[in-house]
Amino acid sequence: MKKSLDGIKFDRRRFLGMSSSLAVLGPLAPGRAWGKPDYRNDKNIPESYIQNRDIPDFHIRSANPFLGVDVASWTLSVGGLARKPLRMVYEDLFGFKTYSQVSRLKCVECWSAKAKWEGFRFRELMDRVQPDPSAKYVGFQSADSYYESYLVEELLMPRVLMVLRMNDQPLSQEHGFPLRLIAPFKYGYKNAKYITAIKFADSRGRNYWANNGPYSVDGTIQPGIDHPLDFGKKPLPINGGEVFHPFDERP
Amino acid sequence: MRWRRSLFAFLAVAVSCSNPSVEQIKVEVPPGVVVPEGMAYIPAGEFIMGHPDDPKTERGKKVFLKAYLIDRYETTQARFREFKPGHSFQGGKDKFPASRVTFQEAEDYCRQAGKRLPAEAEWEKAARGVDGRKWPWSGYIESPNDGFSGFIPEEVDKRPEWVSPFGIYGMGYNVWEWVSDGYSYQDMPEKDKGKFKAVRGGPTQTHLTVKFTPAYFRNWMDPEARYNFIGFRCAMDAE
Repeated sequence: MKKSLDGIKFDRRRFLGMSSSLAVLGPLAPGRAWGKPDYRNDKNIPESYIQNRDIPDFHIRSANPFLGVDVASWTLSVGGLARKPLRMVYEDLFGFKTYSQVSRLKCVECWSAKAKWEGFRFRELMDRVQPDPSAKYVGFQSADSYYESYLVEELLMPRVLMVLRMNDQPLSQEHGFPLRLIAPFKYGYKNAKYITAIKFADSRGRNYWANNGPYSVDGTIQPGIDHPLDFGKKPLPINGGEVFHPFDERP
Repeated sequence: MRWRRSLFAFLAVAVSCSNPSVEQIKVEVPPGVVVPEGMAYIPAGEFIMGHPDDPKTERGKKVFLKAYLIDRYETTQARFREFKPGHSFQGGKDKFPASRVTFQEAEDYCRQAGKRLPAEAEWEKAARGVDGRKWPWSGYIESPNDGFSGFIPEEVDKRPEWVSPFGIYGMGYNVWEWVSDGYSYQDMPEKDKGKFKAVRGGPTQTHLTVKFTPAYFRNWMDPEARYNFIGFRCAMDAE
């Protein structure tokens, strides 16, 4: 995952390394405001922290190492330009109708991994909070300071899920407990984890990686090559959008 | 909406566009053939289709096509908006290619304009000319978007230096384009047959490396797909 950009080798890990030299100039936005340690700029991340790990069957990627979500204090706020903003606790998430699908998470780093995901449709959440018609955009905030942005219409596409379970188990801390987004036609970085807030807006916000590297806000998976972890990382062509390999079942 | 007919159609010698780098094929438009504004006349004849190294193509065989007309530019957002006012382009700019368009929407647009989607062979001949070149512009060039993870569209007439030998823009960069053909190839798995349409001509990318695909490369797509990197252009019979 390296590319020369104006003579600089640039990748996400290198960016994180580079940013450490800038740390004295001030914190990267947003992230430190909540008074938690910021290990983005530190190589000595405690083992107990959620952090990038190359687990063979499904790599872990997490922008800002942290201990994970304490469900007792976790809430989800859904608001912004909405008539009925609400705040939910974990148990409230199980009041939605659930759906399941098998889909790949395709990382912009090249690899992809497949899982069974279970969760609810964004439409049902919208129906509850009743966003203003002018609210064409949605911002997601994550517990680790990560943030993402989407068009509402993208979140209403058939294979998009607000995910509570992975491979027949509750989401693990590393995979985004208690709530994450799966949009299979977007690169992995668009699939926000540990979601704490969803905000409807009338203008498009940016996202963490667009602000911190050469990564598009849109994040639609482009035609090219994939290196699926369940195929020994051997290269396979992909046509763009949601990734299906010859050995995958299409819906 | 009917397309407007140009006044200069009779016996014109169409040396397409002023172009600093791609040698243009001189085309004589026969008497009686009207070339609508914004279209190019592609004369009857053989061209080299596919490449021997790519088994999902015609492997470099000579294919004869009768004369046809093809849009010089990808269909723009402004034009598509006239056809479908509520369409969401995600960041609208009039001269950018229409995108997030399904196969059916592309076909419907062309039909209402009195045109049709180009056949895959027509697209490829318009892109490659008749000498079997790999890219419309002949020699290798780096993508200007190399080093970025996403798709970056451009105005459809931005790159006169990258026109095809027939003076067609956007055949190897900007959006991938729907063509009328289904996607199939020798030894295609039975479960995939009949499911996809061919799309042609956009860049591919692996992480932050963006490359132009060869003009013979065939991509495939669910006809219901609606992505930011898919657009189209129209064609029509010459008679």
